[in-house]
Amino acid sequence: MFRRLLLVCTSLILASVSLFALTAKEPRADFTYVNPSGIHTLDPARMSWTQDFRVALNIWEGLTTWDPKTLSPIVGAAVFPPDISSDQLVYTFTIHENARWSNGDPVTARDFIRGWRRGMEPGTATDYTFLFTDHIAGAAEYVHWRNETVAILTATPVDRPTFHESVLTSHGGDLDDRFDEVGVKALDVRTLEVRLKRPCPYFLDLTAFPTFLPCHESIELLRERHHGLPITAQGLVVYDPQWTKPDYHRNDYPGLLTNGPFMLADWTFKRRARLRVNPYFRAADQIMCRTIDMLEYDNISASIMAYEAGDVDFLTDMSVPYDHELARLSLSGERPDFHSCVLSATYFLSFNCVSPEVGGRLNPFIDRRVRKAFTLAVDRERIVENVLKRGDAVAHSFVPPGAIPGYVPPGGLRRDVNEARRLLAEAGYAQGAGLGPIELLYVPSDERICQALARMWEEALGVRVELRSQESKTFAEEKAHQRFMIARGNWYADYNDPTTFLDCLGIGNGNNDSGYSNPKYDELLAAASVATDPSIRSELLRKAESILVEEDCPILPILHYSTTVAIKPYVKGLHTNARLWFPFRYVTVGRRDQRGSVLER
Amino acid sequence: MPSTKPSTKAWHITTASVIVLAGLLAASVGTLPLSHRWYNVQELGAAVRHPPSLRPVVPSERFAIGEGPRGLKPAARVAYHAVSWFGHDDLGRSLFYRLLPGFLVSMAIGLAAAAMAVAIGVTWGAAAALAGGRVDFIMMRVVDVLYGLPYILMVILLKVGLTRPLTILLGGHSRGTDLVILLLAIGGVSWLTMARVIRGQVLSLRSQPFVEAARACGAGAFHIFRRHLLPNLVGPIAVYATLVIPQAMLQESFLSYLGIGIQQPTPSLGRLAADGVQAVNTFVGYWWLIVFPCAVLVLTLLALNYIGDALRDAYDPKSKTVGLV
Amino acid sequence: MIAGIIRRIIAGIITVACVYTLTFVMVVSIPGNPFQSGTRNMPPEAEQALRARYNMDNNWVYFGEFLAGAARLDFGPTFTYSEWTCNQIIASALPVSVLIGFLAILVALMIGVPLGVFGAVRRGGWLDAASLALVLLGISLPTFVTGTALLTIFAVFLRILPVGGWGTLAHLPLPVLTLSLPFVAYIARLTRVGMLDVLGSDFIRTALAKGLSPRTVVWKHALKPALLPVLSYLGPAMAQAMTGSFVVEKVFGVPGIGQHFVNAALNRDPGLILSTVLVFAAMLVAFNLLIDLVYAWVDPRISGAV
Repeated sequence: MFRRLLLVCTSLILASVSLFALTAKEPRADFTYVNPSGIHTLDPARMSWTQDFRVALNIWEGLTTWDPKTLSPIVGAAVFPPDISSDQLVYTFTIHENARWSNGDPVTARDFIRGWRRGMEPGTATDYTFLFTDHIAGAAEYVHWRNETVAILTATPVDRPTFHESVLTSHGGDLDDRFDEVGVKALDVRTLEVRLKRPCPYFLDLTAFPTFLPCHESIELLRERHHGLPITAQGLVVYDPQWTKPDYHRNDYPGLLTNGPFMLADWTFKRRARLRVNPYFRAADQIMCRTIDMLEYDNISASIMAYEAGDVDFLTDMSVPYDHELARLSLSGERPDFHSCVLSATYFLSFNCVSPEVGGRLNPFIDRRVRKAFTLAVDRERIVENVLKRGDAVAHSFVPPGAIPGYVPPGGLRRDVNEARRLLAEAGYAQGAGLGPIELLYVPSDERICQALARMWEEALGVRVELRSQESKTFAEEKAHQRFMIARGNWYADYNDPTTFLDCLGIGNGNNDSGYSNPKYDELLAAASVATDPSIRSELLRKAESILVEEDCPILPILHYSTTVAIKPYVKGLHTNARLWFPFRYVTVGRRDQRGSVLER
Repeated sequence: MPSTKPSTKAWHITTASVIVLAGLLAASVGTLPLSHRWYNVQELGAAVRHPPSLRPVVPSERFAIGEGPRGLKPAARVAYHAVSWFGHDDLGRSLFYRLLPGFLVSMAIGLAAAAMAVAIGVTWGAAAALAGGRVDFIMMRVVDVLYGLPYILMVILLKVGLTRPLTILLGGHSRGTDLVILLLAIGGVSWLTMARVIRGQVLSLRSQPFVEAARACGAGAFHIFRRHLLPNLVGPIAVYATLVIPQAMLQESFLSYLGIGIQQPTPSLGRLAADGVQAVNTFVGYWWLIVFPCAVLVLTLLALNYIGDALRDAYDPKSKTVGLV
Repeated sequence: MIAGIIRRIIAGIITVACVYTLTFVMVVSIPGNPFQSGTRNMPPEAEQALRARYNMDNNWVYFGEFLAGAARLDFGPTFTYSEWTCNQIIASALPVSVLIGFLAILVALMIGVPLGVFGAVRRGGWLDAASLALVLLGISLPTFVTGTALLTIFAVFLRILPVGGWGTLAHLPLPVLTLSLPFVAYIARLTRVGMLDVLGSDFIRTALAKGLSPRTVVWKHALKPALLPVLSYLGPAMAQAMTGSFVVEKVFGVPGIGQHFVNAALNRDPGLILSTVLVFAAMLVAFNLLIDLVYAWVDPRISGAV
């Protein structure tokens, strides 16, 4: 009996193992890197995560692209620089003659218009529509018209089908005519003319951004249609979301086509994405890494172990509980393959500036003096040096100093406990009297910073601080609905201009979680947006920011993130930068032995 | 051939288990006034991971003047010196004084889960068995359905869903809320086995002559349950309640490992063990952050499981169920 | 018997439907926006458009649509991973978990059964005490501790196995072994109790009286009836091992389905939550039915139970 049982178990194990072993294994790619949190989406119009941008910008190419060292715009799919009219409102891009899609099709101006249009359509559900509506002439009107009609169509009761149908038909017919009013025109096959609403000194920076990537016409094969109309029953322009798969062939779709240095060869869910050189790319023969594997490790610690074991060549994210040790190894030079860099990103606290009461308690932060007092009481150096020890940069301003050429952010407020106490007393809360417990809302990963902050406030101001940690989705909802007194926040620069930070505290901005509103601030931003002289413009922005961080204090900047990446010494051609943008086309990999040790090429 | 006498070895181990638990309990309760000062406040000036040492290595800025080791009684002096015995974590907090309250928190989670299992499980199981017929069928199908829900998903959904209503209910005291929610989430799924077991027991007891006799005398259902059934159910209830405790503690540690368990700075054995395991790396050996929490956690669970096992052997040596199967 | 099976299948479907409804109610009542990702707040128009597109402005419409889809084995889209449908995710993750879970149960049987038998035969002896200690250690050690320990030893120090991931044979042993430990404990315990029960029965006495060697009696005659409790445990154990390995998956970076139970709930992804719950419940019901059938086949005395 037992022998039989043993025999059955053993044969079952052998059978399943051999079945598993039969699946073919590909050889290791020329270059392997780890993306711990995985790809969220490869749809350039929908993405908002750095790691998605990284893949997208390696397989697509915008009109411009970013220099990996300086992050300033350089030549991309179009001739650089483009023709810019003297009033800086009309940009004319000429696409390279030999710009090709990964099936050999030439890249056209229409491909860019198609991609940009997806970024404006409500059905795409992108976070970045504002990049078009803020800058391109006619885009805001078009998006407004679209949103309105979609709202009408979704609100139309089902029992009025004829009305619904007639709105839908007329709307579908108007679609292209209305889009013609948007300031993007294909003058000929390779010439794209873009008309701006107002001068935008960083527009060539934007055209390198993933939302501005082109889109091959084959996507039209996957458009969802309602009774032959180019839109769905809700009036949305929607494509089959699987269009970004390389092996998707519904309706004779050829699979994902891209125009960048690489193409997506294979993408398995939660395991791996393999990139291969796009053979039609204009400089394809200069690319040394012919295949690139992007692996997904759910567990960052395990990915570091894999790097140490030589299974991986490059790590972009090493945020682990012992990350300060990694930063120390990097900064002390003990591990020359670890590179630390400060990102163009700010970690800050938002004060709730609007709700008089939070959770039934008085919210003292509608008073500017209280906000200022709490700001003055914080010892950022101590947080950065004693608590986190990762080599982050202390932040006194919202915009990271030195990140944006030509802009010097204001000095901000330094720690001054006496002044903080005086302000608090002036607001009527001397020694913290009359203040109930102050609530600090954050996500679990901020535990260390928030505990340190709580202790600083308790010591300096005599207030009691209650820490409230929420998992991220609940946190996001509480924050967006202003159910907090103080909440953590972070912001990453999307493009190289102070407005990428400053805009989000404007009145009515969707990301203004503080609910901050100061018309003077908005006026300064508006004045800056029409200023043509760069130095006047940056002076106006600086004035606006100084209101933010020195007078009104709706936010309390704490630090600019530092991060450590690991690049094996035999990998050349990767440069750290403030936005962690890594173009793989310049990478060369020396020979390595089985364990990944260096053997020169 | 099998003997029915419990072995003396097993008895010794069970005694040892009781002693271990009692010792941990006494130590953590006894040092609570001290550990409270140490467990949740970081030393901003000296936030360093210190390896274990027999003498305190972190400056005692937490102790007011006059409270230093000199002015203390011998027991308190030992307690003071214990600060660095297990080393310090990355915020300079004494691991020793996080482990002891952590033990209390874990035990509280275990006990609360057991209490909920007893309260809901016994009521549900007995009610189903006593009601019989259609009611019994429906009540047991409810248990089946709840069994069919993946445990981890339920805990997360409960935790997320209950956070807001409970925070409002408890007047915004978020620290306490977090713990209560975890108790409810773990306890809310721990009563199912108890309900099944109790139902089975009541069904078999119901047909026993002494219950028949009581019914024949005109005793009401509640009276029969209280006077005749409950005394006979104490055995299985005790056994299963004991086994729920380590299960709940283990589940809390899984949740902590996945980052959805108890929130910092409140310590629990699971939280500390998970933190230690996540700090495993090939660069610097924080062995004390892994070894001590895991050792205390495993010791506690082992002791509880031994006691549960011994209880079951004493109550029903031929029991066909193991743990919470 | 056939009628019994049909009755059980219908009861199972009803259970799964109840599980679905209950989960659905929880999913729609918890806070959090399934469409938002990252730190940016989503424009309200975009969110409204998405809700309309996925029938989510009316919960009951969504309830029905999802159920109708699920009946056709089409679980619809996910919001967290827009390019992947629930079907694709399950098709990619379930086989991984099933393989690991299946192997873990087999390994657990191969270790647990002899351990339990020795414990019963040498009851009270050192072998019994040792097997009990092993068993209790198995249920007392959190899998993230054992997993990390194994990982550190075999992948970091000895370097004979990869650190994590999936794809080659070398990726199998560590997760399987780690996952099997708690099951070893339960199976050993059940075998021991079952064996004790059987060894006290009359037919064993008779066999021994006939002069058969104790070894033959234990391994030839007693084992089969002694394993019946193990058999009934295998149903829930299989379902649990094949879907509930989230901690092991996280430790070893295995792309199984366990992580989706956690991530779907954390991301508030209704489609993925509902489809994983349905898969779990269906597997549980199916395995219980299967085990009962095997049970009836092994032990014809209780065939009426099916």
